[in-house]
Amino acid sequence: MMMQGLRLLLPIALFAGLVGFWEWAVVRWQVPPFILPSPGAILTVFETDGASLLGSAWITLGTTLAAFVLAVISGMALAVLFASSRLAEAALSPYAVTLQVTPVVAIAPLIIVWVGLDNAWLAVLILAWIVAFFPVLASATAGLKAVDPNLRDLFRLYRAGFRQTFLRLMIPSSLPYLLAGIKTAGGLALVGAVVAEFAAASGNTDGLAWRILEAGNRLQIAKMFAALLLLALMGVVLYAILSFVEWLLLHRWHGDRRRA
Amino acid sequence: MSGDLRLDRLAKTFPNGTAALEELSADIAAGAFVSLLGPSGCGKSTVLRLIAGLEEPTRGRVDWPQTRGSLGFIFQEPTLMAWASAAKNAALPLELAGAPRSEAHARACAALAKVGLEGFANALPRELSGGMRMRVSIARALVAEPEVLLMDEPFAALDEFTRSKLNDDLLRLWAERRFTGIFVTHSVFEAVYLSQRILILSGRPGRLIADIENPAPYPRASGYRTSPEFNATAREILKALEDRAA
Repeated sequence: MMMQGLRLLLPIALFAGLVGFWEWAVVRWQVPPFILPSPGAILTVFETDGASLLGSAWITLGTTLAAFVLAVISGMALAVLFASSRLAEAALSPYAVTLQVTPVVAIAPLIIVWVGLDNAWLAVLILAWIVAFFPVLASATAGLKAVDPNLRDLFRLYRAGFRQTFLRLMIPSSLPYLLAGIKTAGGLALVGAVVAEFAAASGNTDGLAWRILEAGNRLQIAKMFAALLLLALMGVVLYAILSFVEWLLLHRWHGDRRRA
Repeated sequence: MSGDLRLDRLAKTFPNGTAALEELSADIAAGAFVSLLGPSGCGKSTVLRLIAGLEEPTRGRVDWPQTRGSLGFIFQEPTLMAWASAAKNAALPLELAGAPRSEAHARACAALAKVGLEGFANALPRELSGGMRMRVSIARALVAEPEVLLMDEPFAALDEFTRSKLNDDLLRLWAERRFTGIFVTHSVFEAVYLSQRILILSGRPGRLIADIENPAPYPRASGYRTSPEFNATAREILKALEDRAA
């Protein structure tokens, strides 16, 4: 209990201390604002450019969530295909791995050419999806393979259909694996979306990454910090929500394993 | 009772070339309690899997009209769904057969009560002890009132006390329901205590080397374990195993 309180309190105290020191240091050594703006200056950016920043954040968040949902659905679907057909797995998994290990920034220009700069948002979506897709596929495949063979036999013995076996056995068995992969995918979808926005590097995407590039070109360092802050916040909230969903689904039969 | 179970020159060779079972013929009367006894790797489990239809025989056949729910199977491990309550686990055969949820639940609770787990319907497997988990597994195997119950060394992983308690409970359930019980074990004493008949298999590939009747009447109280009759049957089995080894 004591440990848990500290776990929450320590980061907050450290954060307050650091911000305080930062504010003090900027004034004390008269750091020019185009190198390091004070926390106060960053906050004022939200007053002056709040609307445009939030609008961009909204766009990046939308792409991230769309890519995330696509990644979860397609990753699971392909994992089910792999689990039901060794042939399909042998044929397709090298491509999935190749797509995963090829740096997404390198693929970006090609995708952008293909979909056209007018549809830059689509390119960003595709790239974010590529990044987020693999952890779902890998974890779901591992989960589906980890089904207890005796339980599988039992389902066969009682002549369960594919639907019954899938819903009552495969999904629940693989859930802990799947959720770990989904949690990773959430963070990666955001990374992918931002990287893709940088790669597209045009006002057509209008996401937070574009705001950061734009502000950087104009030496509006405080605005860069503000955009970064929004991105970090987005990532943390996404992770927190996914962790909570994981806890909600697993804590009764799985979560306490750590203690056991 | 829908009739006897006939194993007709049953043989199994796995695709990798391992001969698990050479040739096994036996008629098992409906309602009998029979043990398959033999060293590890003698194809005992394979016999059960062949009867259950989980494996196809290379030669020979199993003569018994298996229908949905007419067969129960208890594995060496409890083999429960970790995410489902005891009642949900026990209700599985009924729910897979499409029984209404409330009916399945009621029958599962009754089956749990039969194995001494009243009040544990909502418990998850991880909240139960090893012996209790095995009881849930027994309740699940019996919930659909099968005609044949196949047991693959179900108590091998349990401690001696739990094991002998579960042996007694199993015999009580058998006396009530009169299913055909086929019990795989490598314990001579467990086989003698439980069965009317003991089929002894040789090591790999499995072959029938002795077919021993155990005439001791039921119910068999714990005194039976130390009785001269128990000893006589155990000696007969050990001799058959020794003759084989010589």
